[in-house]
Amino acid sequence: MGSASMTLVLLLVCIGLSLATIDRVEPTGTAAGEWLAEETLSRFGQQATVLLVSEAGENSNQLAEGFQQVIKSQSRVQNSQVIGDPSDVRKALQAWAANHGKLDAIACSPAMADQLVVREAAKQFPALGQPEILRPAGSSWPRFLGRQNLLNIMGQIAVIAIVAVGMTLVVISGGIDLSVGSLVGLSAILTAAWIEWHGGGDNAGTSQMVLGSLIGISVCAFIGAATGSLVAWAGAPPFLVTLGVMLIARGTAQQLTGGESLAHLPDRFVWLGRGADWGIPNAVILMLVLYALAEWILRSTVFGRHLLALGSNAKAAGFAGIPVRRVQVLAYLASGCMAGLGGVVLASQLKSASPTYGDGYELMVIAAVVVGGTSLSGGQGSLLGTLVGALLIAVINNGMNLLGIDPFAQKIVLGCVILLAVLLDRLRHR
Amino acid sequence: MPHPLTAIRSTFTYTVLMIGLALTTLLQAGCGDSGASKHAKGDKADANKPLVGVSLLTLDNPFFRVIGDNVTEVLGKAGYRVVVVSADKDPARQSNQVQDFLQQGARAIVLSPCEAKAVVPVIQEANKKGVPVFTVDIPCREEGVKIVSQVATDNLGGGREAAKGMIEVLGKAGGKVAIIHFKQAESCRLRVQGFREVIDEHNKANPASKIDPVTELEGGAAKDLSFKATEDALQAHPGLRGIFAINDPSALGCSAALEKAGKANSITIIGFDGQPEGKKAIREGKIFADPVQFPDRLGTEVAEAILRHSRGEEVKPEILIPTKLYRQADAKDDPEAK
Repeated sequence: MGSASMTLVLLLVCIGLSLATIDRVEPTGTAAGEWLAEETLSRFGQQATVLLVSEAGENSNQLAEGFQQVIKSQSRVQNSQVIGDPSDVRKALQAWAANHGKLDAIACSPAMADQLVVREAAKQFPALGQPEILRPAGSSWPRFLGRQNLLNIMGQIAVIAIVAVGMTLVVISGGIDLSVGSLVGLSAILTAAWIEWHGGGDNAGTSQMVLGSLIGISVCAFIGAATGSLVAWAGAPPFLVTLGVMLIARGTAQQLTGGESLAHLPDRFVWLGRGADWGIPNAVILMLVLYALAEWILRSTVFGRHLLALGSNAKAAGFAGIPVRRVQVLAYLASGCMAGLGGVVLASQLKSASPTYGDGYELMVIAAVVVGGTSLSGGQGSLLGTLVGALLIAVINNGMNLLGIDPFAQKIVLGCVILLAVLLDRLRHR
Repeated sequence: MPHPLTAIRSTFTYTVLMIGLALTTLLQAGCGDSGASKHAKGDKADANKPLVGVSLLTLDNPFFRVIGDNVTEVLGKAGYRVVVVSADKDPARQSNQVQDFLQQGARAIVLSPCEAKAVVPVIQEANKKGVPVFTVDIPCREEGVKIVSQVATDNLGGGREAAKGMIEVLGKAGGKVAIIHFKQAESCRLRVQGFREVIDEHNKANPASKIDPVTELEGGAAKDLSFKATEDALQAHPGLRGIFAINDPSALGCSAALEKAGKANSITIIGFDGQPEGKKAIREGKIFADPVQFPDRLGTEVAEAILRHSRGEEVKPEILIPTKLYRQADAKDDPEAK
């Protein structure tokens, strides 16, 4: 029930942001290059003089190729091209003014068209005359729906979403885990420390990278199990236990490196965090697999059934013969494990590990779980809901960035979203 | 199973509230800025202005707010749209912000990195797209990144000025001094380096008036930790005559410790920064002097560097803004020191 309405909300927010971020999006690449050439010819004819300028970006070679393909057929066109910095363009304009004099047009990539060297060309080099600045016309499209933007959103939320898998299980069991943020940092530090101090640093092989990652994840899983044991056997309140673990883990991570960060990681290490072998970021694929797996565990296994029962009524679950303590330990172990995995992904995304990684993440993770419809009182919830909750938070963050909303207001908006989710949770449980 | 009516009512309420939230958000965006996000004042033409994205370490510290305001002002006049955001000391958030700037087609990026190593992948992304990257106050000296220019205070020179101030105060007698440090920051390491250099030169030339840095303690660049560190220094070295603290919060912590020990009149403190609280303390005589920084100049210099780069003119890879030694006499005339 909860996740259905949150999905609707997510859809509405996406529609709203799409409408709000409609902007001129400019083409780059071959098509833009062809357009520039055709425009030059139609405006200035067969004897046009034109300088093609572009920044050295991802599509600049295609831009130049597209341009040259069309221009080549008109042999009387005098043209030259510059792909590089504004200083390179300046030199080229200077040379043209000295050697050729008048210039009909400066054909620009959108980025270069905005540079002052182009906008002030006529003023700076009067010998050029009044060259026309040609720039590929843009089309209107919501920036929010740009392919790269949608991929960015998913990549940005991947770490929080992965950690939220474990948190969902813990919350369903009736507990809470405040230590996940610190465990993310600890895992990142352990992984990077292994690779740097024992694995060969920048030249570490794949097996060393995997070993380091496994060390980071298992230590956090172990800590999770220890947390679970304290909750289960000592009967200590989860809030306080995980608060203590949070501080211990953070302090340990900082002490391991004296507060400094580690960055001697091989280039290939970013495969997990930044690679996209199948068009979608690898971290996102990992995230989706984990969610599917966890949802299956929750719905179709005995453990999942026990988890729900435990969160619903711990005493009754105990009387019903459910191994309450074991289930609790497993839930916190899962949370620690997911936090450890999140730390590895984060280190992979940023190609470095700092002891401050994950600072404050526990709050965002809990927010994703709550917004997704899982009740903090336990006994009910779904991984799909948490995924929707995480996406909603990521979408709102991204949308606010695109709209240029100031960072203080962003916090207020996020806080309101969380409060609303909690309120509606209470309404539903009346 | 919840009663269908309850479910419908909840979904409806949800939807209504969320639409309301979305509308409020859109309205706020439409009505322009309120606080730390600065758009160059404009109208519909705003969308066509080239964008410059600025991600600063934090906007809680007025130092960075002033930098952001000045960048916005100078670039706004030149026809740019500037968006200033705070990374809140979170390297992952900063990486996301820069990614979003690149996504919006920013023509230049200004950064004060939270973490020099963590910001490398996203700077490399900007390099690949041909978008120039500038750093302000905090450098990124890692390999594999192309930074057009780094604009910062001349911390080395500032440390030297602090030493000259100390020599001036301690005079012919010389004496023992303590340094309250924050080793983690490169800026502080440079300040202490400059300080020690000038002190060593002075000692060589005037062996009779030797100034001896007897201890160097971690003050965490914060009042509370510096308070404790100063107390420890006083216990270990009773004959202390001067303290050099690497920033104002640190210096204020030292001052509080001296007052508690009753030594405020016999030991001189020299700080760094020139934040309003520090200037007030200088006016009251609690701190002798500060080499002050000029965040407004940092902002204007980086904006000018962006404009020069855009014109194809030469840009120096490192631009250092000198400090100025600010004493009690300066504070008496300064409205900020009230």
